[in-house]
Amino acid sequence: MSDLKFVGHDEVRIDGKAKVTGAAQYIDDLEFGPGLLFAEIVESPYAHAEIIGIDTTKAERAEGVVKVVTGKDFPYSFGLYMQDRFVFAQDRVRFVGEQVAAVIARDPVAAKRAARLVKVRYKELTPILHVEDALKEKPLLIHPNLKNYKHVPWFYPQAETNIAHWRKVKKGNMEEGFKEADLVFEDTYTVPRYAHCAIETHGAVGLFDHSRRLTVWAASQSPFTQRNVFAEALAPLGLSHQDVRVIAPCVGGGFGGKAGVSMEILAAALATAVKGNPVKVNWSRAQEFYNTYQRQGVIGKTKIGVKKDGTITALHQTLYWDAGAYVEYGANVVNAAGLSATGPYRIPNVKIDSFCVYTNLPPGGPYRGFGYSEFLFGLESHINETAKKLGMDPVEFRRRNAIKEGDTQTYGGHMNPSGLLQCIDKAAEAIEWGKKAENKSDPTKVIGKGFACFWKAPAMPPNAASSAFIKFNEDGSLNILISAMEIGQGVLTVMAQIAAEVLTVPPSKIRVETPDTDRNPYEWQTVASHITWGTGNAVKKAAEDCREQIFDLVARALGKNRDDLYLENECVCSRTEPDFKQPLRDFVINGFMMKDGTFRGGPIMGRGMFMPEFSSALSDPETSQGGKPNVHYTVGAAAVELEIDRETGRMRIPRVVVAVDVGKAINPGLVKGQVVGGIVQGLATVLYEDMRFDEKGRMLNPNFTDYKIPTAMDIPEQVISIIVEVAQPDGPYGARGVGEHTMIPAAPIIANAIEDALGIRMKSMPLTAEKVALAIKTQDTK
Amino acid sequence: MPIIQGFEYYKPTSASEVLKILSKYKNPAILAGGTDLINNLKTETDQPDAVVDIKGIKTLRGIALKNGVLTIGAAVTFSDLIDSKIINTKFPVIAEVARTVGSVGVRNRATMIGNICSAVACADSSPLLIAYEATVVVQEKKGKRKIPVEKWFKGNKRTAIKKNEMVIAVEIPLPAKKYAGCFVKMGRYSGEDLAQASVLILALPENRYRVAFGAVGPVPVRAKKLESLLNGHEVSDDLIAKSKKIIPTIISPITDIRASKEYRLHMCQVMFERGLKAAVSRSKGNGPAYGHSLI
Amino acid sequence: MKRTMTFTLNGRRVRIDVEPQEILLEVLRDRLGVKSPKCGCDKGDCGSCSVMINGKTIRSCLVLAIEVDGQRVMTIEGLMQNNELTPLQQSFIEQNSFQCGFCAPGIILSATELLERNPRPSEEQVKEAIAGNLCRCTGYQPIIDAITHLTRVSVSHQDNEKRKEVRP
Repeated sequence: MSDLKFVGHDEVRIDGKAKVTGAAQYIDDLEFGPGLLFAEIVESPYAHAEIIGIDTTKAERAEGVVKVVTGKDFPYSFGLYMQDRFVFAQDRVRFVGEQVAAVIARDPVAAKRAARLVKVRYKELTPILHVEDALKEKPLLIHPNLKNYKHVPWFYPQAETNIAHWRKVKKGNMEEGFKEADLVFEDTYTVPRYAHCAIETHGAVGLFDHSRRLTVWAASQSPFTQRNVFAEALAPLGLSHQDVRVIAPCVGGGFGGKAGVSMEILAAALATAVKGNPVKVNWSRAQEFYNTYQRQGVIGKTKIGVKKDGTITALHQTLYWDAGAYVEYGANVVNAAGLSATGPYRIPNVKIDSFCVYTNLPPGGPYRGFGYSEFLFGLESHINETAKKLGMDPVEFRRRNAIKEGDTQTYGGHMNPSGLLQCIDKAAEAIEWGKKAENKSDPTKVIGKGFACFWKAPAMPPNAASSAFIKFNEDGSLNILISAMEIGQGVLTVMAQIAAEVLTVPPSKIRVETPDTDRNPYEWQTVASHITWGTGNAVKKAAEDCREQIFDLVARALGKNRDDLYLENECVCSRTEPDFKQPLRDFVINGFMMKDGTFRGGPIMGRGMFMPEFSSALSDPETSQGGKPNVHYTVGAAAVELEIDRETGRMRIPRVVVAVDVGKAINPGLVKGQVVGGIVQGLATVLYEDMRFDEKGRMLNPNFTDYKIPTAMDIPEQVISIIVEVAQPDGPYGARGVGEHTMIPAAPIIANAIEDALGIRMKSMPLTAEKVALAIKTQDTK
Repeated sequence: MPIIQGFEYYKPTSASEVLKILSKYKNPAILAGGTDLINNLKTETDQPDAVVDIKGIKTLRGIALKNGVLTIGAAVTFSDLIDSKIINTKFPVIAEVARTVGSVGVRNRATMIGNICSAVACADSSPLLIAYEATVVVQEKKGKRKIPVEKWFKGNKRTAIKKNEMVIAVEIPLPAKKYAGCFVKMGRYSGEDLAQASVLILALPENRYRVAFGAVGPVPVRAKKLESLLNGHEVSDDLIAKSKKIIPTIISPITDIRASKEYRLHMCQVMFERGLKAAVSRSKGNGPAYGHSLI
Repeated sequence: MKRTMTFTLNGRRVRIDVEPQEILLEVLRDRLGVKSPKCGCDKGDCGSCSVMINGKTIRSCLVLAIEVDGQRVMTIEGLMQNNELTPLQQSFIEQNSFQCGFCAPGIILSATELLERNPRPSEEQVKEAIAGNLCRCTGYQPIIDAITHLTRVSVSHQDNEKRKEVRP
């Protein structure tokens, strides 16, 4: 393993040149010719209302307008895990901004003008903006038809309530567990909603041509899943998967927000309304905030039981998720978090109730971390408090309870190999845990240190598959065709490195480009931090398939002993004939010419597919026992040194460290990139981002002016990235995923550092300078 | 987002040409940097029938110091102010204010005069000009009109400008041969932000001070009460404590999605203390470099 | 009413008729095919629409196209000479200073402007120069590293412009 030539090295990204020269094409850069039409969406001003009627006559007559459509034209529902969402609102609207109608026109100004002429009459209903109101006795039902919605078999909607799904976990015996404890301690933690804020907004173009072929170009993390959702939703129009094609260009950041289907369905649907012309739907920044997925809010009630020596005996988590108006994707966040809300700890008695609650707010959905960032704030804060109550060092407490390989998880499965203890030790060392830091020159500043462990498993259906084709070119270069999306994480390069390692063709001679569902083989979605593992395995198999064909061909065409053959520097070599060096380029397209002028071989093409066959979503609905929902966990530990200005509450980060066990860093530089980028995104949620809604459910800050994401002036002074490698046995070269994990510990390490510095426990995010300053002021006056 | 409503566009080469154009239209708008106006055109907050671009008027681009008065032309950008030798040597706190406005990309276009013509409550130039006792120079048909800046701001987004007039410059008298200042601006983080509160302090010879607050009321506030307390005295902890106590009686911040009233009041006290100490240190030749954030 | 304007775009003279209300960003992208400046927020908050006007980076989403009549406009497409990456672009690739790449054109222009004024900026100066360009992917440190890594810009974009300007 140690003499890997490409894997494990900081290979230069193969998409670099396109991105630094402006050549990379994103959805809004694509040209569709003079026939391109533009859609403007008519949106609901109400969070909860019945639609009484829509008058489109004036709009239809407006200049430049081609078509006006409403929910009547598209009475179709859709959804990834549950079909609870509508292409256009039907009888009622459920969040401010929900699409009610659309105008398609020849230019954007005409579309905008005409959209204002669409008259919608509403009857306002009481908006439910808080989980508590949704869970009242006999509440107003946001989805009265919940019991009739199609959904995956592992969801449990509660009919006649606003609970779309209730994941129940019961392991061991809670009563016994708490009886055994020397200390039982309970508290509640609140995490609000957050926005992805990819710098590129969502956009999609749909074309339903005269042969009834629907093509959708979309800034998407999931072209195949989108194709599936479009085909299912529009099946009433006579469409099936072979009629639907999704093409994804470069994506300007996803973070989960461009997974699944949110606004893209509009491009698909509207295209069918204007056969022969492409229709573009481009989201403004404001729409990006209020009508794409948001990260759900959660209220977590955590009760822990521990022995004097720090051993955790029991944990009871009750998680109430503010999941929004539609939960077709978000319910799986609630599910995934429900299965793993113990964190990476060995706990014999566990009860978790994870409630997916409808509210009249924007739909919740996948966001980097998929529920883990949300629950870890509470859990890791609580763990710190518990350690404090025991008089025990919080890092030592975590070491003591750290989950190990083979330990039983919440649902009965067994923990994969993991370097959690290594991560804990290295993170503690890097932050100089135990050594108090001071700012001796400035009495207004106080410094604290915070620590947290984290983990996450990919949350996927049990049959999430990845596949790859490889084909060669005459110059010995090769193309890898996958449908994993490059959203910035560097997947194209990592796949090239894996193929390079097997085939000895350097990454600079490998093209991996963004997919077209007609040409590229299936990939479930680029989410869950599973691509390096899943697609990596598929690419490795495809490369090995090529290699086998190469050896087979050389053996029979050139009369070599197959077992002697190996690849080196783009040539086939023989262990028994040191002078034999057959360059790949000579035969990978053309084959070998024999003495009689006939040829052997032909184009070398490889295929690989990876789908785990050990994963299952079936389990006891009351306890979750017996399931195998998670393929493996990636674990880690993080720590921060935080300097707080006692007068202003402003916080500065001299050092933050993230140690993560990636199994094998295929490209250490790219892993570091995920650490730096991820921790900054995570720190932003706890320090700056602050989403506000008014009492009518309207988002008050759908812009960067008032929803603050970090600038270059707001970053930590030093981000220390530590890579631990305890191999994942079924991963390519031992690799497992890391894309989401690096932001997960950010919030609790800050909360714990604040507590360390000030003795103040803050339990409601975000922990802004204002909140800290006023908390200090309150503490000082006591 | 395209601008839906059309308008006429002019780029005259003199101020008098501007006035002629303004008089021909019902609702003309003046365009300098455009960082406010273009946004307003997109959101239809402003729907002018004509836009008059003043960037072609060479006389409006000047920064000049003559007879102890600094004149800043209407087309001078915040970047111009930051780069100006005169400003950095004689009026360094102006550069300090300019560096807090937006970011480089905004400062390369946005102008100080545009800032005070928009006159939003959180404008950064407002407390600056109030503390400097500046004058707004307006060109009208019959000549120039000079408005003391304390009479310029009438309310949130309201100024003393009349129809068919344009601001051509501000005049800032040099308060003393040797003096120092400090501008402290409250934002939600270190990156660009609209001020949630700001304070500008000038430390003049013989223990005289000028203090102005911004973004804590519809118009900037000259804190004369504070100045009375401070004037003639060396700054001491006791004096600062007394001063901080009266700040809540001078300013009236609100609670909005950016900050609470309570935090704004608290921060004004902190910023005043730090700003005053910095201004005084600077006047003695020490203190933090201009542009260094104190909060 | 449409107006005819002429300006220099990436060293070439361009003559185009525009309505006064057309935004520079939209004219560049939709009428002149220059796609590198992006629309990220349409309000001037994110910097992904950055272009250079007369050597200064500005937000093209806040400029009327007609305002650049007679001016010099440069986008990232105009930085390269003979299809060779500038030292800054090369440094970006070496330091993994981009991930999704959406903010890269804007940040590269801001950095180019900085390096022309100050070939040896401190880390603080770099941060201030790019503070108006939002990036959600990288956490900025790799971008800062790419810029401070360069101690000299061997070919400034102004020299490029002079070389490429073509008289009609």
